Amino acid sequence: MNKYSDLPIKLASSVRSMRDFLDLLSSHDQCITWPDPVMPEPDIREICVASGQDVPGAPAILFDKIRGYPDKRLVTGVHGSWANLAILLGHPKNTTIKAMFYDIISRWGSEKAQLPRVKPDQAPVHEVRIERDINLYDILPLYRINDFDGGYYIGKANVVSRDPNDPDNFGKQNVGIYRIQPHGPDEFTLMSVPIHDMGRHMQAAEETGKPLKIAVMLGNHPAMAMFAATPIGYDESEYSYASAMMGSPIELTESGNGLDIQAHAEIVIEAEYIHGRREFEGPFGEFPGSYSGVRRAPTFKVTAVSHRKNPIFENIYIGRGWTEHDTLIGLNTSAPIYAQLKKEFPEVVAVNALYQHGLTGIIAVKNRFAGFAKSVALRALSTPHGLMYLKNLIMVDADVDPFDLNQVMWALSVRTRASDIMVLNDMAMIMIDPAAVTPGKGHHLIIDATTHMPPDPIGGDVEIVTPPSGPAIDALAARIRALQGGN
Amino acid sequence: MALNCPRCGGDKNRVEHQGKEDGQVIWTVHYCTACCFTWRDTEPALSIDSTKRRKVFQIDPSHPERFGVVIPPVAR
Ligand SMILES: [Zn+2]
Repeated sequence: MNKYSDLPIKLASSVRSMRDFLDLLSSHDQCITWPDPVMPEPDIREICVASGQDVPGAPAILFDKIRGYPDKRLVTGVHGSWANLAILLGHPKNTTIKAMFYDIISRWGSEKAQLPRVKPDQAPVHEVRIERDINLYDILPLYRINDFDGGYYIGKANVVSRDPNDPDNFGKQNVGIYRIQPHGPDEFTLMSVPIHDMGRHMQAAEETGKPLKIAVMLGNHPAMAMFAATPIGYDESEYSYASAMMGSPIELTESGNGLDIQAHAEIVIEAEYIHGRREFEGPFGEFPGSYSGVRRAPTFKVTAVSHRKNPIFENIYIGRGWTEHDTLIGLNTSAPIYAQLKKEFPEVVAVNALYQHGLTGIIAVKNRFAGFAKSVALRALSTPHGLMYLKNLIMVDADVDPFDLNQVMWALSVRTRASDIMVLNDMAMIMIDPAAVTPGKGHHLIIDATTHMPPDPIGGDVEIVTPPSGPAIDALAARIRALQGGN
Repeated sequence: MALNCPRCGGDKNRVEHQGKEDGQVIWTVHYCTACCFTWRDTEPALSIDSTKRRKVFQIDPSHPERFGVVIPPVAR
C-alpha cells in the first residue's frame, strides 16, 4: 500500500477537539493562517468565496488579524474541501469521494460510542467564564456572511437542548445545527421548524410554559460538525452517533445550565428561551444559494458564556454553491438514503446527493429489467430525505460512478431517451427551493439514464466499450498520484 | 444628526459595539430596534446605504403581522 496512508489514520483518531484537527490539517498543508489584516466586511466573505473555488483541496483559513477585533481568532472552511474530509476520515487527502462514501457506509450502524466524562472544573471549555455584562459582539469576531443578510450570523453552531417534558433523557437531548442571529449583546434568534428536534423542544416549552435551556457550542469536534446534522431518530444521541462514526471518543462535560456539552469546545453560549417573544429574523443566504425571507423567530437570552483561553470562533461560508455547507453535509445526506434504499433494493450501488442538500441526486443501480430503475427512483422519493429534497433524480447503471460527473454526463448522453423522463407533479418540497411557484410544493423529476433492458426491443447496450475497472485500476490510479508526489 | 437604519429608515437605533485599534475607534456596529437590522459603519455601501441597497431587501417593520412567524406562540 502507499507509504502515506498510515500517517493520517493514526493522527485522525487522536483528534479530541477542533484545535487538534487544525493542527492535523496544518501538518498536511490543509490549514493556513491568513497573513494580512482583514476588515470584517467584505474581506472575510471574499476570501471564503475565493477558497470555495477549490472544492477538492481548499485549506481551512484561520484569521487572527481582523481589524477592530484585536486578539480574536476566526476559522472558516474547516470542512470546506474533500481533502479536509479525507484527513478527518483518516485517509490520504486526494482520496476519491466514492471511496469516502463507502467508508462512511462501512461505519454505518457501528455502536461503539465512547463518551468519557470530564469534570466541569477540569474541562478546557470552562477555562474562562463570563456571567455578567455579556456582549456577544465583544466575545466573537462577528461579521456579515452575505451582502443582504439581516445580521451577523453564527452559521456552524452545535446547539444542545433537552425535551422540556423529559429533561432527564440523554437520548432525547438533541444536538443540531441551527442558524443563529444575534440581536443585541445578549439575545439571539434561533431558526428551527416544528419538524426539527429543536423546534419540537421550543414548541413544547411554548405549550407548557416550562423553561427551555440550551447550550450553543462553537468550535466543535470535527465529527460533531459533520454528523450532528445527519437525520437520525428522535431518541438517538448525536454524541453517540458522532463518536461511533469517528471510532474515537468525544469527551463530554456539563454546561453551567446543566446540559451535556463537549469538554473541548472552543466556546459555549448558555441561553434560555424567552416565552412568547418573536423578533425579525433574516434574510440569510441559505444553501440553495438564495436568501430566506424575513420572518419572526423565537428568541433566547444569553445567561453565561464559557470559552477556552484565546478561543477560535468557527464559522461557515454558506450562500451560492459550491460552499463549505455542501462538503460538510453532502456525504451524510447521501449515506442514509443509500442505507434505506439498500434494505429493499440490494441492487443499489451508490447514492450521490451532494448537490444543494440533495435537490439533485444521482443513484447508481444494477438494472434488472426495463423500467426497474424508475421504481427504485420512486422508492428514493419516499425516503425521509427524498420526500422533500430529491427534486431532480438521475438514475445510472452500476458501471457509472455517480460521484464522477463526467461519467454521469456520458450516461445522460448515450443511455437516455426523451421517454425516459418522469415528472411527478405537485409533490411535497422543501420551503426554500428558489424555483418553487408555491413554496413547500413542486415537481419531482426522474431521468432514467440506465441501459435499455428486455423486454425493450433494444435489449441492452449497443456494443459499448468496457474499459478495465475495479480495485486493480483504482490501485493504479492511486499509484499514479503517489508517483506524482502528492498524498 | 439622527442615524437612520439602512433597511427600514427608522431612527430607533443603538450602538452594540465599537472596534478599536490603539485606542482609536475604527468601526461601530449598530442595531435597529424596529426591524432588527445589524450593521457596521465600514461595510460596503451595497449593504448599508439605503439608496444603494436592493429594494426587495428593505422592510417596513410597522406591520409585523405581515411577516411569517416561526413556531407561533401559544396564546395565554
Ligand atoms: Zn431598521
